[in-house]
Amino acid sequence: MIVREGTTPRIVIWALTVVGLAVIYAPPLYLLGVSFNPSLQPGLPRLSDVTLKWYEALGSEHALIAALGQSLIIALATAVIATALSLAAALAYRQLHRGRTAWFLTVLLPMFVPGVIQGLALSTVLSRAGVKASALTVIAGHLLWAMPFAFIVILTSFAAVKRTYLMAADDLGASRFRQFYDITLPLVRPGLISAFIFSFLLSLNEFTRAFYLAGRQNTLPVVLFGKMNAGASPTIYAMSGAIFLVSSACVVVVALRSLFMQRRTG
Amino acid sequence: MKTPSLLLAAPLAAILVLGLAPLILVVVWSFCAWDSATYWIKPEFSVAAYGSILEAGRWSVFLSTLGKAFLTASICLVIAYPTAYAMYFLAGPRLSIALAALLTIPFFTSYLIRSFSWRLLLGRTGVINTLLQQVGVTDAPLDWLLFSDFAVIVGLIASYLPFAAFPILLSMRRVDPVAMAAARDLGAGFWTMARTVLLPLTYSGVFAGFLFVFVMVAGSSTEVQMLGGAGASIVSVMINDVMRVANFPLAFAISTLMLVVVFGLVLIGDAIFGLASLFEDRGQ
Repeated sequence: MIVREGTTPRIVIWALTVVGLAVIYAPPLYLLGVSFNPSLQPGLPRLSDVTLKWYEALGSEHALIAALGQSLIIALATAVIATALSLAAALAYRQLHRGRTAWFLTVLLPMFVPGVIQGLALSTVLSRAGVKASALTVIAGHLLWAMPFAFIVILTSFAAVKRTYLMAADDLGASRFRQFYDITLPLVRPGLISAFIFSFLLSLNEFTRAFYLAGRQNTLPVVLFGKMNAGASPTIYAMSGAIFLVSSACVVVVALRSLFMQRRTG
Repeated sequence: MKTPSLLLAAPLAAILVLGLAPLILVVVWSFCAWDSATYWIKPEFSVAAYGSILEAGRWSVFLSTLGKAFLTASICLVIAYPTAYAMYFLAGPRLSIALAALLTIPFFTSYLIRSFSWRLLLGRTGVINTLLQQVGVTDAPLDWLLFSDFAVIVGLIASYLPFAAFPILLSMRRVDPVAMAAARDLGAGFWTMARTVLLPLTYSGVFAGFLFVFVMVAGSSTEVQMLGGAGASIVSVMINDVMRVANFPLAFAISTLMLVVVFGLVLIGDAIFGLASLFEDRGQ
């Protein structure tokens, strides 16, 4: 069934779509362009002037490198734990009959808690309990930020697990663990990998919670925030540009992979 | 089937211990008195913290936060609705997936970096001011472009636009195109059809999108910190400021009010529009 839009509506609709995408992408892409400019004055470089010198200079920015290391450790741990917990949450969702919606909302609601409030609450409670701020406290804060996204991604991948598959396995005498290990797990593996990557990126780029929860070694966004307000420099553009590029590339890889899987399974 | 209690236990424990319990303590502690000697609270009941929200213009920060949230959410709808339409009805399969990926990336890239990058565009010597002067629209750079409410709203739209687009997209997937085509066959123009057939069928997505953006903006801080003017504030930044003097009860009282607003809106929205049902066809 084809809805004929007409030319003017099409132009209006596409124009607003382009405006939206431009608002999202023009600034970070411009920043990325600026990071290849040898001049100290921000501006797009001429093609002949394009340089990687600010990226090379990152090697001697010890504060940024140390913070990046800390952020990577935290993001890795957050991704592992958030993916495992979200898988459990999704399995529970599938098995629930009543209370499904309540469980769905319970996992999703932490997403709506403002980062500052969540960070302040958790850091206050932890420090009152005598827990020193460290990488562990940041991971604790990032878990609930990453879980709603990981949960939705994994839940979506569960669409591939037909109940009849599990029933057939059950009839053939497979234990519940065998059913999970031999049928469910391979079918939802793409979802688990996507959830892992997304959780990793969410933690890597998270700022407001880490601001309250980081210990002596700050995470990368916290250090970047300080440097951005202390006067921008080309190395800041380079670090920001690199992080933006890598994060975007990860999402594109996930999108392409799921597209490829769809093609293969029809 | 067995009860899923074991599977529920781990994620539920994480949500309760790391999420709910600290927030409940924040609410409880907001009703305690501040001890300026220890920079912590005294175990006695007090609503003094709520009283001081009314002082020193703090109340107006609440109002301006809600105003920013309303304005941003409204503008996001105007852009996100056509975007969702283009993705679902106009674009071919490849372009549609490319658009979906482009709208997914913002969730997983840094809000800090994306807000910061607006400074390069909106500053006195930024791209937009340079362009405006070259074209001859203005003689001198416009100062209100950066470190202003204008910059904050633009930054907020850029940050949270995808939160509006996806619920609308999900709701459009459930619209039967036959109804739209029928309206056109019966002589309705495109805009009439969109207003009288498509829009009413996608109300749940529109309200969910509005709500998501509203709630995200209400809790945001980075955009104001990066792009706001000298006196600019928003509730989350006000909490940071209060915490500079370690006035815990006041920070907790502001947090409590904000949590009531946020969860109130989400739960009311869920009761009316069934937010969870937007995702219903997934994972069944």
